Amino acid sequence: MKKKSLFHPETIEEIRQARSRWERDCLSPEDLEGEKNLRSASGIPLRLIYTPEDISELDYMRDLSFSGLAPYTRGVYPNMYRGRPFTIRQIAGFGSPEDCNKRMRFFLEKGGTGLNIVLDLPTIRGYDSDSPQAEGNVGQCGVAIDSVEDMASLFEGLPIDRVSVSLVTHLPSTTVVLLSMYLVMAQERGIPWESLAGTTQNDFLMETTIGSAPEILPPRQSFRIQCDVIEQASSLLPRWNPVSYNGYNLREAGTDAITEVGVAIANAEATARELIRRGLHPDSFLPRFSFFWDLHNDFFEEIAKCRASRRVWYRITSEGLGAEKPRSHLMRFHVQTAGITLPAIEPLNNIARAAIQGLAAVLGGAQSLHVDSYDEAFSAPTEQSALISLRTQQILQVETGVTKVVDPLGGSYFLESLTSQMESRILEFLEKINSLGGIIASVESGWMHRLIADFAYEQQRAIESGKFPIVGVNYQPGESSQIPQEIFRYPETESRQKQKLRELKSQRDKGAWHKAMNDLRECCLQGGNLMPPVMEAVRARATLGEIQGVFRKIFGLWEFPLK
Amino acid sequence: MARGRPIKVLLAKLGLDIHWRGVVSISRLLRDAGMEVIYLGNQFPEAIATAALQEAPDVVGLSTLSGNHLSLGPKVVRLLREKGMEDIPVIMGGVIPPQDMEELKRLGIREVFGPNTPVSRIISFIEQEARERRV
Repeated sequence: MKKKSLFHPETIEEIRQARSRWERDCLSPEDLEGEKNLRSASGIPLRLIYTPEDISELDYMRDLSFSGLAPYTRGVYPNMYRGRPFTIRQIAGFGSPEDCNKRMRFFLEKGGTGLNIVLDLPTIRGYDSDSPQAEGNVGQCGVAIDSVEDMASLFEGLPIDRVSVSLVTHLPSTTVVLLSMYLVMAQERGIPWESLAGTTQNDFLMETTIGSAPEILPPRQSFRIQCDVIEQASSLLPRWNPVSYNGYNLREAGTDAITEVGVAIANAEATARELIRRGLHPDSFLPRFSFFWDLHNDFFEEIAKCRASRRVWYRITSEGLGAEKPRSHLMRFHVQTAGITLPAIEPLNNIARAAIQGLAAVLGGAQSLHVDSYDEAFSAPTEQSALISLRTQQILQVETGVTKVVDPLGGSYFLESLTSQMESRILEFLEKINSLGGIIASVESGWMHRLIADFAYEQQRAIESGKFPIVGVNYQPGESSQIPQEIFRYPETESRQKQKLRELKSQRDKGAWHKAMNDLRECCLQGGNLMPPVMEAVRARATLGEIQGVFRKIFGLWEFPLK
Repeated sequence: MARGRPIKVLLAKLGLDIHWRGVVSISRLLRDAGMEVIYLGNQFPEAIATAALQEAPDVVGLSTLSGNHLSLGPKVVRLLREKGMEDIPVIMGGVIPPQDMEELKRLGIREVFGPNTPVSRIISFIEQEARERRV
């Protein structure tokens, strides 16, 4: 018998016919019911079984190729985890800088390989710990940072020239200040900026769309600061990712996987175009762009999402933005498993959910990972639950063998079909954003907010009706009695931070502070990159709240378009 | 329930807490249930109490998951009392440790709804509170 290759048109036709016979002879009509209505979490129709017929259009070299080669579907580096294991980057953040420093040391002692710092809400929103708006939130759910002195205490004794640091700064207006504090702190410790590796979030959607709060900067100003930070970092910080395009929080607020990736890529593309307009070459900044995904429970769709996002980004950077360096095309991303999927009911089940989501991240080719802790629905993790998360990562890394082969699910009929469908749906979403006038316009008009609110509402209704099953909650619910649960308690922080602020303000050089604040105001009014005057203000011991106060006063405030 | 007049609920996100998914979804689900909902967005306790004085709602609902529940939640109850609105029940929802739920009730919060509370339970609680107030 003559052999025919698997993807030969005649073979595909044979498979098509055999499939029809199989459906007719081996399946009952009920077996095929699912073909009509079963869908992936973001609505892609699912077949009962996948065959070469489903990927007959796939062009191996154009769509898959090899890891480390365009279009990077199979991974950004040739040897992937054999050469560089994913960074174990558990979040730490609570209390004062001194408290948080202890948790970071704990992670490093137990084998964490990167730091990941989350700030409290007054810090994220640009208020000092002694501001009336900060009441009740100082040191809760994140660490309080008011000045460069706090930044120094936060990292005291930690090897920041060797370990990469992610600062979850959320808003660009906060990023420009906190990154400046980080740089001034490093300089005062004698650490050269070239050796600093890490990431700041710096996403204007965090300022205007994902987080609602009083006193938000207008989208255009927030976007300007986002670009200012990237522009400065591209010349000062060769190892720093000045932006992490944040799909994660968007997804947590309420979107499907396609929108999550689509919005982040639309923002990245818009930033690149603005920086090119400012005169920068795309190869000077694109290699430092990074992304942040949220991995939910739909295992294969999430893996497909990671693979498709790399392919889409390559198509955009090579065709649309004209980047030439291979590194400019690489979509490198951090994954956090999905907090929103972790209920308070039967919380230990969350260990299983987070582990499976973490596995999807590894199979999707993530560069760094945070696995959520089972007690998220109560408070920040206890030391014990945080340790389980860190151990989950180590189990994935050294016990399961999933890091030994690059893109081990590549070639799966199902996964490749799903990856291609995710790709085309992400591209469709990008066209939609374009038709609305771009990412900033879609925020200004409130379109993006409505999209998120509608999704969250529909999903809540699906949970209420049982259409969206959650084990132990609306599917096979258990006993309602709660097992006693150890809850993390935040240390008292407010009065300690207030005391430090009083000392800082009485001891700083008032002349230098006045001059720096005036220069900052001038730059806000006249235009030009805001980061240099912010860095001067930080050096003169200006506080986060003082600097953000200038932004709020000069740029004005914007009303959150959703009531 | 008084005939003709829908139950009026005043909802707010407490202070700097930026997570709006829960409260915006709840406000729509309460509207679906026939209630009049005024969602204030992010507000500090003083503004919430002032709005309550103007709107005279049947229930005030506060949403938080950023750890400010113990300081800002009871403050709203205190301010309502000071303004002579001690009879308006204040309910809270969000990520609140179970131990703190008891403490909040001791400090005057009528009911606390943790994560994964079915919306139907919140609706029937509000209906009952409104019924009792309107008798």
